[in-house]
Amino acid sequence: MAMEKELLKSFVQKPCTLIYPFEKLPPAKGLRGKHVYDPEKCIGCGLCARVCPAFAIEIVGGTGPKCEGLIVDLGKCLFCQQCEEVCPRDALKLTEEYELAALSHEGCVLVFKRKTPEKKEEEKKVEQPA
Amino acid sequence: MVQAVDLVQLLIFPGFLFILAYAMFSEWVSRKLAARLQNRVGPLHTGWKGILQPLADFIKLLAKEDITPSAADGFIFTAAPLLIFALPLAALLLVPIQSIASLWSYGSVVSFEGDLIVVLFLLTLVILSIFLGGWSSSNRFAAVGATRAALQMLAYEIPLGLAAIGPAILYGSLSINTIVNNQVKGFMAFLSAPSIFALPVAFVMAVGFGIFTICLLAELEMRPFDIPEAETEIVGGWQVEYSGKKLGLLWLGRDVKLVLASALLTSLFLGGPAGPAPIPPIVWFVLKTVFCIFIVSNLSVLFARYRIDQMLKGSWQYLVPLAIVQVMAVIALNGVI
Amino acid sequence: MSEREFVIPIGPQHPALKEPANFMFKVEGEYVVDVVPRVGYNHRGIEKAMESRTYIQNLYLIERICGICSNAHQTCYTLNVEEVLGMEIPERAKYIRVFMAELERIHSHLLWLGVAAHEIGFDTLFFYIWRDREVVMDLLEMVSGNRVNYAMPTIGGVRRDIPADKIPEYHKMLDILAERTKYYKGVAASEKTIMNRAAGVGVLKKADAIRLSATGPNLRSCGVPNDRRRDTPYLVYDEIPFNVISYDGGDQLAQVLTRVDEVFESVKICKYCLDHLPDGPIREKFSPLGKVPEGEAVNIVEAQRGELIHYIQSRGADKPYRYKIRAPTLANIPSLVERLKGGYIADIPIVLAGIDPCFSCTDRMTMVDEGKGKQWDVTGEQLRRYGIEWYKQ
Repeated sequence: MAMEKELLKSFVQKPCTLIYPFEKLPPAKGLRGKHVYDPEKCIGCGLCARVCPAFAIEIVGGTGPKCEGLIVDLGKCLFCQQCEEVCPRDALKLTEEYELAALSHEGCVLVFKRKTPEKKEEEKKVEQPA
Repeated sequence: MVQAVDLVQLLIFPGFLFILAYAMFSEWVSRKLAARLQNRVGPLHTGWKGILQPLADFIKLLAKEDITPSAADGFIFTAAPLLIFALPLAALLLVPIQSIASLWSYGSVVSFEGDLIVVLFLLTLVILSIFLGGWSSSNRFAAVGATRAALQMLAYEIPLGLAAIGPAILYGSLSINTIVNNQVKGFMAFLSAPSIFALPVAFVMAVGFGIFTICLLAELEMRPFDIPEAETEIVGGWQVEYSGKKLGLLWLGRDVKLVLASALLTSLFLGGPAGPAPIPPIVWFVLKTVFCIFIVSNLSVLFARYRIDQMLKGSWQYLVPLAIVQVMAVIALNGVI
Repeated sequence: MSEREFVIPIGPQHPALKEPANFMFKVEGEYVVDVVPRVGYNHRGIEKAMESRTYIQNLYLIERICGICSNAHQTCYTLNVEEVLGMEIPERAKYIRVFMAELERIHSHLLWLGVAAHEIGFDTLFFYIWRDREVVMDLLEMVSGNRVNYAMPTIGGVRRDIPADKIPEYHKMLDILAERTKYYKGVAASEKTIMNRAAGVGVLKKADAIRLSATGPNLRSCGVPNDRRRDTPYLVYDEIPFNVISYDGGDQLAQVLTRVDEVFESVKICKYCLDHLPDGPIREKFSPLGKVPEGEAVNIVEAQRGELIHYIQSRGADKPYRYKIRAPTLANIPSLVERLKGGYIADIPIVLAGIDPCFSCTDRMTMVDEGKGKQWDVTGEQLRRYGIEWYKQ
């Protein structure tokens, strides 16, 4: 009989269930979620791939100036944020987006393309005549 | 000579179709009430506020694979769920709900002197079917669950019968229909000429209501007496080998038993479907049975599960003496009034 | 074996167990005569996997040994590596580590309370406790960025700071937790059906508890107040005032009361840490691909379930040479067997849940032949063939 008062109180109150996905709680600041990549800042050092505990990051093209970008496999990722911590230029960051469900493995894979120095030169040349 | 009216009464209203629909409705009521008491929502998305959820569960179970273990006794294994579904359905034909002839009168489909005993007997047969179903599953957990069901029957059958006999003695009949009619007469007499005996009668009837409710909790295998089906101890208990259509029938039978239990409670203690006109008896029946389901659900979520030896001890130490005292008090009052 | 005995297998899949293990119960009617435990269903080869990952990568692997003891494993691991490195971490980092460890203790004990209520069939209490557990999970999300597997300790300190403007909010949430836990303690102490199922059930005598190497709250509920945080203090536990909770009785009710009171103590420790956070840096520099000099270290941490022992041996590379983990549940299983004997089948779930089993932490493997008194190792291929043969029988 000890819980009867609490039960009757709950009966007249709104239930504590959030009807997801119609009602959502905002994620806390600093939640470790989906990755976001700055193609300008990345220098292709490859540290993020070497440090990842789940081997979820793959460097495309080679390290250094040859690097063309990253492939992050969210299916393997632990969201530990070690890649963000080790990046010397703050190019790879984790946002607060947590709704990452996908219907196939392709939906889980993030492909990031890096702005190589040649591309940056090309863009400068394209901008100048204008 | 079978008339069309009889067929409609038996099969549609207030017969099988109505009872099945009402059984699903009362399962929804019970689940929603339990959920709101526990601060959650319960069924929500199927139909208006989840009212079609029991139907959806039943259809899903019908579509699942129905496996009979090779070591099980096939005949009894299949017969048990059919009995568990059909016996309460038959017992509900004896309880007054609504007469099909006129909107403002009530009556049961079949009524004869002694049908209260038949209803109690059918309830006992249900427990025996549970025992047979569990035993024939040839599964260790089912065997433990079946023996627990049989032990539980030993505990609550006596107080259940004694608590039911109380109103029968007071209102002088063993037919549920007549008991309800006499309750109405007694209430009308009380309204016109209140006597001092009304208070002890009401008190004794309240005690009987309490004992009957506790025994019905054990009958329906709801917490705190869901011992034969204890999920965390013996997985599914006696139901563990049932799947697919047989499990669907078992669960539908459990809902029909819930309707039977609440209908018995209202007929014996709350005046059945009788109520002031202009509201038809069917509405009174629904209101009163929902009230009984509320009480039963509330008690069910309030307690932890008992152990079988504690249940037996508690029943024979407290319930049976209380039920005997209640019957003796009813006899004494009956002699005096 | 008498013909009246009947063997009921509980596990590896069973609603009473949250993680796979197997217990073969010999019963007579409802009365348990004997029980034979088997663990090892959750063995994942973590110790071997650690040998091929760098020290920083191992930080996250060791966190995932168990979802609810994750911070305890990380605390012990970082203590080990820092001891081999000879590194002294800043004071602020030590306080934040203690804060996280105690928050995880609150989280674990609240989870356990709900599960214990579920095992005795009291689903209502289970739902209510887990609703209030969301408070501590939200707090952990705000502090660390994730609701489980917080990954706060790192080699050299902690990874995130606790900003000063958030501290009042954390105090408020801790107060809510303390208030709700007080309500649940009242329910547990006054609800008669809980008394029926927990008082006098699964009793372990004090001498047996010591003899059978019980540890943690399992031991403290038998009247033996051993606690590693007080006996061999690590981090800053020697500077923080707290009580060691122990109850006499040795039954499941004592287990419930011990853990509930430990939640109150943990709330007190957390509030003390928040109020006395020293200023300063939160981590020392350690390169993610750095090497660790030769050496070995052993550290014992008071995890939620008891004593957690880690051993590390490094041979100068950037990957550990050998890492050994002894989880508390392994030490609690002999006392579990003693508690189960002589009870009823209906008591099995609550007694099993009573030692707070975490079989994910437990499973390490070694081959022992009892009859011949031998011990040896097997290769993966031998194991695979053995498994296939066993099922063919």
